Amino acid sequence: MFIVEFVLLMFLVSILAGIFGSIVGLGGGVVVIPVLTILLGVNIHFAIGASIVAIIGTSSGSASTYVRDKVTNLRVGMFLELASTSGAITGAAIAAYTNSGALEAIFGSILLVSLVPMVMKIGEDIPKSPELKGLSRDLGLTGTYTESDGRTIKYNATRPVEGLAGTAVAGVLSGLLGIGGGAFKVLSMDLAMKLPMKVSTTTSNFMIGVTAAASAGIYFARGDVDPVIVAPVAIGILIGAAVGARILLRSRNTTVRKTFAVILAIAAVEMILSALGVSV
Amino acid sequence: MNLRDPESMNLVIGRVLRYGVLISGIIILLGTISLAASSGLSDTAGVLVYNENVPHDGLDVSLASILHGLVTLSAFSWIELGVIVLIATPVARVIISVFLFAAERDRLYVLVTAVVLILLLFSMLVTPFIPGFHA
Repeated sequence: MFIVEFVLLMFLVSILAGIFGSIVGLGGGVVVIPVLTILLGVNIHFAIGASIVAIIGTSSGSASTYVRDKVTNLRVGMFLELASTSGAITGAAIAAYTNSGALEAIFGSILLVSLVPMVMKIGEDIPKSPELKGLSRDLGLTGTYTESDGRTIKYNATRPVEGLAGTAVAGVLSGLLGIGGGAFKVLSMDLAMKLPMKVSTTTSNFMIGVTAAASAGIYFARGDVDPVIVAPVAIGILIGAAVGARILLRSRNTTVRKTFAVILAIAAVEMILSALGVSV
Repeated sequence: MNLRDPESMNLVIGRVLRYGVLISGIIILLGTISLAASSGLSDTAGVLVYNENVPHDGLDVSLASILHGLVTLSAFSWIELGVIVLIATPVARVIISVFLFAAERDRLYVLVTAVVLILLLFSMLVTPFIPGFHA
């Protein structure tokens, strides 16, 4: 394959990654990494460098729309970023001193198991909103957004401490592997904090850019961000994220949830396979 | 725009993200076009992409080399600059959020966002230089 074809292929794949990543709140690394490593034989370090750029691009590119249209909950996002950034630093420290293969297998298995509650809620449109009390009230973790069919949805968050813990796991994963943070963020907001699905995926999208930026320094300093790989990825992702954001705003919560469940399953299997590859 | 109005926060943050993305996208696009035009795509790049044995620290990403590349209009350096702008966009968003919460007189969230900013800058700028973290 010639380099021009490589660049064009990565550009097209990244548009797709940007569309799906911006809808489900996962940043697109799930798509970009296997295409680069398995299909194109690129070194995993350069693939992770490209994934970090893909995540930041998906995040900023789609969040600009989600924040303006007030689907993202800014306070929930800022509050949970306390955990995701601390987690990212912890993850980088763990990566320095341990073999990440075993941890990757554990995290992959947790993602796989979390498919069960996700599938049980598969038809859920808007969760029954809990009463706003305790820490959630003190932190102002409440919000309102307009659904695609014009309904105004008012919701409150619950169990902020559990949400914080789940997001810390997401941060550790990002710092450790450079990927996988988005899945745990969405699960924390959906399963623990009981936010509407679109609020969960768009708030995850808002946060993953900061988590990825926290890890970006290490990858950039190591020279893992290869301009030739990253350029088509960045441009494709930004186009995809702009398209994906428009699709999400017009989609139903149930559709977003189904799409998320499918991509969650793919991400879990990818992580477990990669862990097996590492430990063999 | 009245910054004390909670509505303005969504507008300002939305714009910061949009401009960051547009500026970095344009710089990366120009760098890519210049790379293709200079036929750099067929020589240097191929080695980097296809040789699994490329040394891990094969790319010179020191600030001095990027600055030198920018002055000499090296396409690689322009793409790197675009990527740096992209990485800086979420950081700018956090910095501006601190001020927006201050304008709303929301002390709790000024504190939350300031702590996030400190953790973020520590992780980005300090951890790469801690021995062992390069593993």
